[in-house]
Amino acid sequence: MEIAIIIPLLAAAVQSGTPILYATLGEIFTEKSGVLNLGVEGAMIIGALAGFIVSRYTGSPALGFLMAGFAGALATSIHGVVCLWFRGNQVVSGLALTILGAGLANYLGTSYVGISAPGFKTMAVPLLSSIPVLGPIFFNQDILVYISYFIPPAMYIFFTSSRFGLGLRAAGEYPAAATAAGLNVAAYRWFGIMVGGFFMGLGGAYLSLAYTHLWTTNLTGGRGWIAVALVIFAFWRPGRAVLGAYLFGGIMALQLRLQALGTQLPSSILLMLPYALTVFVLVISSWRKKTSEEPAALGVNLEPVD
Amino acid sequence: MLHFRITKRQEPLGAGGSCLVLLSALFLSLLLSGFLLFLRGTPPVDGLLTLFQGAFGTKWAIEDSILKAIPIFLCSLGVAVAFRLQIWNIGAEGQFALGAIGATWIALTFPDWPKAALLPAMIVAATVAGGAWGMIPAILRQRFKTNEIIVTLMMNYIAILFLQYLVYGIWKDPTSFGFPMTPEFSENAIVGKIGTTSINWGLAHCLVLGILVWGFFKYTRLGFELKACGDNVRAARYAGLPYDRLVVLVMVLSGALAGWAGFLEASATVNRLQPSIIVGYGYTAIVVAWLARLHPLSIGIASFLLAGLRVGVENLQLDLQVPAAFGGIIEGLILLTVLAGGLFTHYRIVRGKT
Amino acid sequence: MENQLPLIRLENISKSFGRVQANKDVTLEIMKGEILALLGENGAGKSTLMSILAGQLVPDTGTIYLGNKPVQLTTTDKAIAAGIGMVYQHFKLVNAMTVAENVFLGQKGGFWLNKQKMCRTVEQLAGQYGMTVDPRARIHDLSMGERQQVEILKLLHRKSTVLIFDEPTAVLTPSEADNLFDTMKIMVAKGKGIVFISHKLEEVMAAADNIAILRRGEIVDRVAAADVSSTAELAERMVGREVLLQVDKRVVEPHQSVLKVEELSGQQMKEINLEVRQGEILALVGVAGNGQKPLVEAICGLSKPLPGTVTLLGMEWRKFFKKGGWKNTLSYIPEDRQGLATCQGLDLLDNFLLTTRGGFSRGPWLKREEAREKANLLLEEFDIRPPDLTAFAWQLSGGNLQKMVLAREFYRKPRLIVAEQPTQGLDIAATEDVWNLLLQARNRAGILLVTGDLNEAFALSDRIGVMYNGRIVDTFRTDNKEKVEQIPQMMAGLAIS
Repeated sequence: MEIAIIIPLLAAAVQSGTPILYATLGEIFTEKSGVLNLGVEGAMIIGALAGFIVSRYTGSPALGFLMAGFAGALATSIHGVVCLWFRGNQVVSGLALTILGAGLANYLGTSYVGISAPGFKTMAVPLLSSIPVLGPIFFNQDILVYISYFIPPAMYIFFTSSRFGLGLRAAGEYPAAATAAGLNVAAYRWFGIMVGGFFMGLGGAYLSLAYTHLWTTNLTGGRGWIAVALVIFAFWRPGRAVLGAYLFGGIMALQLRLQALGTQLPSSILLMLPYALTVFVLVISSWRKKTSEEPAALGVNLEPVD
Repeated sequence: MLHFRITKRQEPLGAGGSCLVLLSALFLSLLLSGFLLFLRGTPPVDGLLTLFQGAFGTKWAIEDSILKAIPIFLCSLGVAVAFRLQIWNIGAEGQFALGAIGATWIALTFPDWPKAALLPAMIVAATVAGGAWGMIPAILRQRFKTNEIIVTLMMNYIAILFLQYLVYGIWKDPTSFGFPMTPEFSENAIVGKIGTTSINWGLAHCLVLGILVWGFFKYTRLGFELKACGDNVRAARYAGLPYDRLVVLVMVLSGALAGWAGFLEASATVNRLQPSIIVGYGYTAIVVAWLARLHPLSIGIASFLLAGLRVGVENLQLDLQVPAAFGGIIEGLILLTVLAGGLFTHYRIVRGKT
Repeated sequence: MENQLPLIRLENISKSFGRVQANKDVTLEIMKGEILALLGENGAGKSTLMSILAGQLVPDTGTIYLGNKPVQLTTTDKAIAAGIGMVYQHFKLVNAMTVAENVFLGQKGGFWLNKQKMCRTVEQLAGQYGMTVDPRARIHDLSMGERQQVEILKLLHRKSTVLIFDEPTAVLTPSEADNLFDTMKIMVAKGKGIVFISHKLEEVMAAADNIAILRRGEIVDRVAAADVSSTAELAERMVGREVLLQVDKRVVEPHQSVLKVEELSGQQMKEINLEVRQGEILALVGVAGNGQKPLVEAICGLSKPLPGTVTLLGMEWRKFFKKGGWKNTLSYIPEDRQGLATCQGLDLLDNFLLTTRGGFSRGPWLKREEAREKANLLLEEFDIRPPDLTAFAWQLSGGNLQKMVLAREFYRKPRLIVAEQPTQGLDIAATEDVWNLLLQARNRAGILLVTGDLNEAFALSDRIGVMYNGRIVDTFRTDNKEKVEQIPQMMAGLAIS
């Protein structure tokens, strides 16, 4: 293939990968605190709808994007109530959140189907966008993509070098040790759930405000689940999440392009690609399990003392 | 200052207490759902009454609820078998689709076989296809330690797309005016209705399979071994149980039951294969299994209730223009509240002073 | 020094769990510059008392005074703020983090961590108390002794004035234990107060200034270590009667070999050879973590014995476990009764069937009624409480659960028994029962007894093997006085051949 085809494809890969990246980073943050939240899909779609509605009524996509984050956090706080207060099973609670989120978004969004809202547009970064190859791929995007570049390093530094990050990791690795050290593990886990939900909401809003400017039902299309899988692929490291998200962005962009070009392959087979890739990625992730930074207490609820 | 403490129960919560917790959870979900109706400007009490009326108010409604309960029951029975081993099979939806595909393949290939041969052959094909679809994640889990939740879920998407590929492509009925569906099955490939009702004989299948699964866990050695594995994997290994092989077995069984549901849906309900048979029964089955605490008889009751919910929501949509997604909201709320209510079975809340 | 105020004073502390009274009216003072040993049997209420001090449990009644000020230690951080620190038996360390990160975990300060400064601080602090641990090392790379040092450093860094050690030597080699006692002496010299919980008489005599004895939840005695003449005297005070149980051990003629391990290596094990014959008890003694666990797991079929060979009842390992069978074979009585030997969420009948199911099967069916009758008889015979097969395993106390496991395993008429710490956590009466049962079983079985309790080994075994660092250092007859005296050195790896 020629460079003229590859560069737009890679730029599209970054764009389609960005919502997955936001969601994956959110899930990494939550899981680092020891909480398994399978409701990413639900939090994303609620974020997507909230962002869309706010942007439509205020005319400010930026405000919509921000509110989408809070809506995502509000959605995942349900998971917090069930798992942290009522000690419900984290797997089932996450599933329930997905069912509820999809239901709520479709219920409240029925009247917006097919309607558009102001969204984000591509804006090239001066200077950087004229770098050959890298410029058009990474610096000729919308502002939400640029924001997403800062999050993985920020998260990495937070985990490794801040007092708060240390406590968050301890809550996920060995809650009893954190408690013995005088930390309030439940509070850290709440923080993990809420911040994670915030990022999931942002990921959803990217879909409704930048990827499309439209509201449709089932806008997220399984991206939340792909994010859950990518956390494993990323070995719980924010840096590797970028790699995984763009890989999936790439396959989605490729699949769209092949459909547009009218290949022999039926579209339903092409649409399978990201899901089949997810399974494949999980299989290969098992090879280097040693280097994984999976929190030791992931998915384990706190037992009450006394 | 007054505050609440959670302490572990010394005695398990009795049946009465469990019922109370369950009913409170259901009540709370309906309360919250009513509030959502109110938000949209629908009178909540009228709305919920319309829902109940639509679900269980007429003979036709009850029949429709039973009809929908059949696939939900079978999927849920399968899901519950896996959940007992703490294997999170979220893939009933895909296994259901594969079952329908397997049954359709036989029905389209051998339409002239006598009923006594064709229907059993379709059942075998459906359960093998569904079971195989369930076996793949189990084997990946065993060989590569992959997470079965994500794999089964991804395989749902793949199965549904595969079904679409078939009905939009090689299996499409040339006389369907472009609609994605296979030709109608031959008479011999159709599971008939009971008497003059609209309910099909699938109900009898459910009864038999439900009793078999219940008896399997209660009276057989293998059933007991599965129960032990589900409670404590390490103790199972200590007692010499082949845990990994049992996981595969359970996933095959789980997939086969969902596949059977797929067969019934294709053969008895729509009489052909078309994408509209995929309506999320596989996910509802998870809610049902959890609501019923994995017990076959309770699964029967819960399937009927949640099938009724689906029928009722259709009524709500017609009468009060409430979007169909309302059903998903109630399902999600029920699952969340029941899950939260589980706290009271193992812990008690004590009021005390700091 | 007579009228000096204690650092901490516990007054009339009581605490019950359900019907069990763990602490009854306990009054205790911890003085500055003192090493106080809290001595008591398993289940005497030592850990409960210390958990109350560490803010993990709230007492039902009673008051805690800090100096002369009453305090409420309702959470761990309140206890930490009050200067009370606890070194847990199971270390509360995050394995994936470094030493310095663990020390600073939970400490107040600025938003950012200064890693260099953290490491320097830890290094200096360790130096002051004679400890040598690399602040940059990750916990999972450290030995048990080093991990304990990290626990101590955590407390020292928080300026704890009272340090509580819960069974601190359980996981240490004798030389690491000596180092620990040296560190404790430095700490009290710097004005701290130390409480250490133990049931090992010798170390209490060696390390403590004062000894408080806890029995059935009550403080029954408080003496200065200097006033105690012998460990026997201490033991008598501890249990209220002569401690050394007398069990009637008659010589049984050993018959054919029931277990043979040859050149077994891997997973911490190094070229292990041993043989157990019917009619004898071979006790394996050693500090926990010297290869006992992988050895037992390989023998009992939980992990493959590679490289090396294991022969059970004359059959090669693979063949033996393939053949299976529930009766007249191998019974494994694991140390972890809750996590390995039983299913906590199932009732007693199901737990009984867990390993005996082979005896109650016909074709694919399970004959529950028959099992129920048999199990009911066993509940009575072994005096298991509650005597109710529908009770769940989680409702049973540790001692009753162990009796349940023993009842089940002896019902299988085993020819080879592997018993791991079979009396840990049991009271004297139950211990005596278990010992007699094992001796009886010896008539038809060979027994491999893995224990950390030398008394148990002496009372039961015909031969003793000592494990150190994955090897069996030596095996000898229990009546070989000369070798028996060298056991402590062997356990410490100071091989004498």
